[in-house]
Amino acid sequence: MTLGLREILNKHNSLISGTAACPGCPENMAMRMLGMGLGKDTVVVVVAGCSSIIQGNAPYNSYNLPVVNIAFAAGPAAASGLARAYKQKGKDVNVVVWAGDGGTADIGFASLSGAAERNEDIIYVCVDNEAYMNSGGQRSGSTPLGAITSTTPEGKKENKKNLPFLMVSHNVPYVATASVGYPHDYIQKLKRAKEIDGFRYIHVLTPDPYGWLFDPSRTAEIAKLAVQTCYWPLFEYYNGKITVSQECLHCLDKRTRRPIKDFLSVQGRFKRVKEDDIAKLEKYIDDMWEKIKELM
Amino acid sequence: MIRKIISGNEAVATAVKLARVGLTGIYPITPQTSIIEKLAEMKAQGEIQTEIVRVESEHSAMAATYGAALAGIRAFTATASQGLLYMHEMVWWVAGSRVPVVMVVGTRAVGAPWNIWNEHTDFTSERDSGWIMAFASNPQEALDLTIQAFRISEDERVFLPVMVGMDGFILSHTKTNVLIPDQEQIDDYLPPRRQPYVIDPEDPVEIGNMFPPEGYMKLRESIHLALKNSEDIIRQHGREYNKKVSPMIDYSTLNSSYRLEDADYAVVLMGAWAGDAMEAIDVLREKGIKIGMLRVRYLRPWSEKEIRENLEGKKGVLVLDRSTSFGRGGPLYIEVKSTIRDTEVKDIVTGLGGVTVGKSDMIYLFSKFVEGIKEDVTWYYPKEVGKLDVRTPRDIE
Repeated sequence: MTLGLREILNKHNSLISGTAACPGCPENMAMRMLGMGLGKDTVVVVVAGCSSIIQGNAPYNSYNLPVVNIAFAAGPAAASGLARAYKQKGKDVNVVVWAGDGGTADIGFASLSGAAERNEDIIYVCVDNEAYMNSGGQRSGSTPLGAITSTTPEGKKENKKNLPFLMVSHNVPYVATASVGYPHDYIQKLKRAKEIDGFRYIHVLTPDPYGWLFDPSRTAEIAKLAVQTCYWPLFEYYNGKITVSQECLHCLDKRTRRPIKDFLSVQGRFKRVKEDDIAKLEKYIDDMWEKIKELM
Repeated sequence: MIRKIISGNEAVATAVKLARVGLTGIYPITPQTSIIEKLAEMKAQGEIQTEIVRVESEHSAMAATYGAALAGIRAFTATASQGLLYMHEMVWWVAGSRVPVVMVVGTRAVGAPWNIWNEHTDFTSERDSGWIMAFASNPQEALDLTIQAFRISEDERVFLPVMVGMDGFILSHTKTNVLIPDQEQIDDYLPPRRQPYVIDPEDPVEIGNMFPPEGYMKLRESIHLALKNSEDIIRQHGREYNKKVSPMIDYSTLNSSYRLEDADYAVVLMGAWAGDAMEAIDVLREKGIKIGMLRVRYLRPWSEKEIRENLEGKKGVLVLDRSTSFGRGGPLYIEVKSTIRDTEVKDIVTGLGGVTVGKSDMIYLFSKFVEGIKEDVTWYYPKEVGKLDVRTPRDIE
């Protein structure tokens, strides 16, 4: 049964108006939806990145939740400490680590992996804008092949590190992917994660107008295009099986996929992409969906 | 109170137990490892309720400890050498957040090259991070100072983290007689944890977010003042410890002195080799040389008052540094030199990386000093070590 957005959302407003985000910011959207999904009893550990800027300059603060700001590699470990302390005090609190793709795929990966292996009772949300956007758009481990960044002006030569699969390999109870283009799907996944004990990982695609080079009015549209062209899958891994969201059921068959060019052509970062790079990207997408089908 | 023969590391684990710590972030590194092994063992046998997080690195050990402290429970971790350097970022983060946390450092040399033996450089290189820094000279002090560390750290006039140093192997692994206080004594001395802010959805607060320059600088000053003002608070809690727990070691001062009052010459040092120095002083005193010792027990706060009172007016002060500030001399020397006036101060850097400096070396060094040597900084090698030939790039033509 699918409910309308109004029915599923928690009334808690996790974002107060007047954030320091850029126009069209997808992380702002994702943070607002976090409160809708998890409600009031939530503590967020914000790892260095755009989200620590969006929060605003002290003493002002745009997040309507308790927040611990912390250095890159420390998020999952600090959250482990918080979660265990709440358990000791007999409190039911959702402890969330909120990190970008750099903090997740690169500098913070060891502590993420450690917390996942220990099956800490925390929710890890990775907001993936596919580059180090807060420091000006440098390449990250999560940048896709062919994308121009400020440290790969010729286009990145390697494929994106596939974090959701890496987390599935950690044998954690829950892994999900989401896109800010589909709030309904994302919020439902947050609600599901809340019901589960142990380590939960949610990877949200957050297209960034300034790094991806598209008009800020089109953030949601691009986030949808990523899913429609099957570049970004929406799935849940739970009880050892993957369930694909209905928004991308068409991706399971290669013949019904929308061409990847529709996604690439609307962004400036792919303007120098060559035909053979597009072929490599298509291969990456094919392989990814084969893997998803194996786990279904 | 019972008497037991235990190592420094066991003494620290016992202190953690007595302090009713809520969470310990653990990651092994020599020579600290047996502290956390002991705690894990106590936990497995149901002797302690402490939550133990077995993290994947020292960086995470400090982060997990920090998280628990923020949520309002008493938190502890221990480390050494490369581990302390690896958690350096979080060491600053914790102090900047003004969160009470206690850590023990089993001091050890820092690579390259690899060396697992004792030296104070790992410890002294954190002296600007905003932590209160105590240093033990025997396992008994390691236990006492660790318990006092929780009391000081959680005092509402302080609210800063505290680290307790302890000579690696020399204290960490050597077993001696230690008086172990009763749980009731410690419960009487150490009240349940209190802190001004707790991260909790019931009262949402933010910690560590972006600060404008003026506010940031004000916060920095607050740390500076809290650290400076902690001097009297440490003495106060020391006196209380002497009254409520054990009068055996005098904790009413930040530093400890030996035969200093009538001395013409003074030796300044920190840590376990104070024992050898005391024996050497006794020998020299018998020969008629009036020499005494000041042992630094708190590197931070640095008690200018005590240092001046004890050292000014002496004919000469000799500092023994078991650590380095390359190109400058020893950190203790720099501190002493910048504190006292009108007194000649000389520095000896020695005992690095586990080089043994014993009573006979001290007798030699102290008497040479009394005879008068002019250079500011000297690197001293005991006889057999002096003969070693280590080739460095400068020697190769």
